[in-house]
Amino acid sequence: MAKINPSFGKELNKYGAINSNACYNCGNCTAVCSLSTEEVSFPREMVRLSTLGLEDDIQSSLKPWECYYCGECSTHCPQEANPSELMMSLRRYLTAKYDWTGLSGLMYKSLPLSIAAFVLTLVGVLIFAFSVDFVLEKMVHIGHLFEMIAIGTVGLVILLPNVARMWWFTILKPGTKVSFKKYLSSMGDLFVHMFTQKRALGCDDNQLRWFEHFLMVIGYLSLLFTTVFLNWFSSEYLIVTIFGYVVSAIVFVVTFDFVLSRIKKKKEISKHSQPSDWFFVIWLFLMGLSAFMVRLFIDLDLLETNKWLYLVHLTVLVQWALIIVPFGKWTHFLYRSFAMYFAKLKA
Amino acid sequence: MKKKKIGVYICHCGGNISDYVDVEKVRQAVEGEDIVFLAKTTMFACSDANQREMVNDIEANGLTSVVVASCSPKLHLLTFRNVTQRANLNKYTYVHANIREQASWAHSDNKIGATEKAIHLVKAAIAKANYAEALETNKVKALKSVAVIGAGVAGMKAAISLSNKECEVVLIEKEPFVGGRVSQWDSLSTTTETGKEIVNRLYNDLITRENITICTNSEVISNKGSVGNFTLKIKKTPRYISTSFHPEDLKKAIEVCPVEVPDEFNFRLTPRKAIYKNYPGEYPQTPVIDLKNCTRCGACEKVCPAVNFSEEEDIIEISVGSVLMATGFDPYTPAYGEFGYATSENVITLPQFKRLIDEQSDTLVYKGKAIQNIAYIYCVGSRQAKGDNTYCSRNCCTSTIHAALTAKNKFPDINNFHFNRGLRTYGKQEILYADSLRSGDIYLQSYEDGLPTVTIEGKKTIVKINDILTNGKEIEVEADLVVLVTGMVPRADNKVGTLFKLPKGRDKFYNEIHMKLRPVETVIDGVTIAGACQGPKNIAESVNSALSAATKSYSIISKGELESEPLVATIDPDRCTWCGACEAACPFDAIMKSEKEGKIIAAINNAVCKGCGMCAPVCEPDAINVTACSSTEIMSMIDALV
Ligand SMILES: Cc1cc2nc3c(=O)[nH]c(=O)nc-3n(C[C@H](O)[C@H](O)[C@H](O)COP(=O)(O)OP(=O)(O)OC[C@H]3O[C@@H](n4cnc5c(N)ncnc54)[C@H](O)[C@@H]3O)c2cc1C
Ligand code: SF4
Ligand code: SF4
Ligand code: SF4
Ligand code: SF4
Repeated sequence: MAKINPSFGKELNKYGAINSNACYNCGNCTAVCSLSTEEVSFPREMVRLSTLGLEDDIQSSLKPWECYYCGECSTHCPQEANPSELMMSLRRYLTAKYDWTGLSGLMYKSLPLSIAAFVLTLVGVLIFAFSVDFVLEKMVHIGHLFEMIAIGTVGLVILLPNVARMWWFTILKPGTKVSFKKYLSSMGDLFVHMFTQKRALGCDDNQLRWFEHFLMVIGYLSLLFTTVFLNWFSSEYLIVTIFGYVVSAIVFVVTFDFVLSRIKKKKEISKHSQPSDWFFVIWLFLMGLSAFMVRLFIDLDLLETNKWLYLVHLTVLVQWALIIVPFGKWTHFLYRSFAMYFAKLKA
Repeated sequence: MKKKKIGVYICHCGGNISDYVDVEKVRQAVEGEDIVFLAKTTMFACSDANQREMVNDIEANGLTSVVVASCSPKLHLLTFRNVTQRANLNKYTYVHANIREQASWAHSDNKIGATEKAIHLVKAAIAKANYAEALETNKVKALKSVAVIGAGVAGMKAAISLSNKECEVVLIEKEPFVGGRVSQWDSLSTTTETGKEIVNRLYNDLITRENITICTNSEVISNKGSVGNFTLKIKKTPRYISTSFHPEDLKKAIEVCPVEVPDEFNFRLTPRKAIYKNYPGEYPQTPVIDLKNCTRCGACEKVCPAVNFSEEEDIIEISVGSVLMATGFDPYTPAYGEFGYATSENVITLPQFKRLIDEQSDTLVYKGKAIQNIAYIYCVGSRQAKGDNTYCSRNCCTSTIHAALTAKNKFPDINNFHFNRGLRTYGKQEILYADSLRSGDIYLQSYEDGLPTVTIEGKKTIVKINDILTNGKEIEVEADLVVLVTGMVPRADNKVGTLFKLPKGRDKFYNEIHMKLRPVETVIDGVTIAGACQGPKNIAESVNSALSAATKSYSIISKGELESEPLVATIDPDRCTWCGACEAACPFDAIMKSEKEGKIIAAINNAVCKGCGMCAPVCEPDAINVTACSSTEIMSMIDALV
């Protein structure tokens, strides 16, 4: 027996849903969606659950993650109910629900709060810089240390428990029985989807976007690897240096294109940007660019006289690691791939 | 009798006939008959070329009669009658033989048999043609006046439209006030004007017109005569209040009246006095005393001199050329216990809900309880899988959505849940549905085999449904108020329909002759129907049909004279003994007892007789002949057939 929650629609609007109540269940969206199948049918079903506010059903569903936002459904919706944006807002809503700290939800729903968090981290970075008297060597060293510690802590304290919660919401709570063997044998899917997003290729006319996204993911992961494990900024190896340049350039060039398309609003996917979307692409762009510039200034021996540049990079990095990765859009990278893994378990 | 010269034309119908009937053989079989002057076959009898040839043949040879053996007379009887007329032959001398439906199509498996049958059919037609006479149409005087029964929007609009013509109009309303149902709805869908405003607008127009007589509190109690001249008796119940009343006194009189009865205008939600008016601006402005409930205590009389119990019932007689019926509908009353009706105090009907939201302001309260969740159950009394009302009431989806939106605008805290069976907000009304969705109203849907249920658990009223839009999941709403979306049914009081013998359709509303092509005429000549008495209609549709019924009623009488087919029954006064058998047999009430030269005999009303022939066979002394189907003609045809 399910009870309707008519105020859920309003709640979802805070996560970015637009006019989804207007849906009259014609099913056009599901018919045109190239990822929807007879067994796993969406997005109408998710629009419906949202209209009725059946939160248990929404929380146990993996379908929001199976949509890769081509926007075809919104283009074809006769009621302008924006099903694709609804799927997006459900992903934000679910991200908030998976997050045990509750901070994701707060930041999705409140822009001032997000800005406050960004300002706070900026102040933190400045205090830190003061405390080490703006000595570049110290700053770079501790910055590098911070990166490693942040990755470990965020991963263990926030991301891991959140993925576990996702597992609980979608597999354990609905009572899905999965054998241990299946957990192991399906593992491959997790990594394939994590690194390739291959499902997005199923969307019609999506090859270029998929490729850009793929490049960006590989660029980002490589940048992470080069800065953290190969200590790019202090590396003596030419090959590492060049590799760092290449991957950071990939990151900011590709994200620049992403930012541009969100400004132009030509495609359905870039029409409705929430603050969390802007933060994500802009910070990625800034990170790639500032990392590139820092290394360039090092190589040109200009950094010592332009410490501000490193401080900018550090601020971007800290904000990225403490806000966007744990509580922002970054997590979709994890949840999407785990969703594919869990979906395989459920199948 | 002068010897006939008959022309016979046998049609191939492009193969439809000639593929199975040997038309040449038919031609040869009849060619030799004494009275047949010429016999031809033709590829298409109805073609222009053949029609011209027929005209030439008739004129050149002085034919006295024509027979065409072709398709059904339904299709081409008129065509060939017109051909004879063009050749200056009386059109009633034409005789039709149907050898397509009755021979070629019916016996496509037996060509020889089909041909033989066709020969017989044509011979019978020739036999009939031998007796066919020139006939003239009957002419009857038509009064240029129309009685409009029912002063709802349809009746009022029809009266206004008729008054623009050279025509007297009598508008007869059973209730003490005009407006019908529309005066009961405050806000209306798709336009911003309220029901009361619409009614007032129509009434103010009505009273400026000199050729309209408005009779309120009046009922037709008898009807005599027929198209062109109906004589109606109207019973006028007095208001018991003189029109020269003092408003303050009357207000007092209403206050002091001790009688309280459920107010039908408010669908029994509230009480009213025995002396009353439904709402302040109502027309006519004089209130009324409802004598059925009045105890004659005299309290009102004491405070208001205008109260006058000595007024008496009046019966007047009017004669009109045509009658326009616009008696409207009743809202469906759910059965005891149907979705909790009458068994749960939280369950009301849509008309009641409309009255409720009109009457209340600030917060929505029903029976002392503040209302937040409202469940609307659609199609109650319509689209019934098990009951008689299989039709859709057309208007209720829109009215419900409109009422729900109105309620939400007025009382922003409420939640609307619509338990429907597929929305039918056709045409421009679809905008309302979209508005409603956007406002956050929730729609749950089922098929007829999985209707929602209403259960009462303690003080709670729970509505449950297996929602087909959510994979059949069982969903429940705890409703503070359940609104049953009741549809339209025919007026329970159908005395007036019986009086005019108006036929009813399967839905039990008055029936038109042809849904598409003759939508406002009834089989009773001179009686037209308009508005919701014909079936569920919204205001626009009611007014549309009222305008066409007015035009139709007027067109019947506009010439002051009616022409009717001469093919009617005739009485032989010498033979008739007035046994009355024919009067009982006639389905159209065309036969009356009358006196002719001191003898009581039957008389036929030519304006009403349809020539159906039901009377002739029941007449023992064989006093009835139906023109063009006289016994001689029929016997000669039978002779030719066997
Ligand atoms: C709940 C509800 C809401 C509605 N809301 C809307 C809306 O928002 N918009 C819209 O367009 N339509 C609406 N409608 C439809 C609208 O009410 C009808 O279209 C309209 O009333 C039809 O008019 P009518 O004149 O044919 O019939 P009625 O309004 O029924 O009028 C018939 C009149 O004939 C009189 N009468 C009956 N019998 C006799 C008799 N024997 N002798 C003399 N007089 C007689 C009656 O007293 C009455 O005055 C609604 C209907 C319902 C049930
Ligand atoms: S955005 Fe594309 S993938 Fe997502 S539901 Fe719509 S059509 Fe399907
Ligand atoms: S296309 Fe639009 S209206 Fe139709 S089901 Fe999808 S969201 Fe609803
Ligand atoms: S108009 Fe709507 S509520 Fe009324 S009978 Fe038709 S479908 Fe049912
Ligand atoms: S022919 Fe028919 S309509 Fe005419 S009087 Fe006889 S029974 Fe009545």
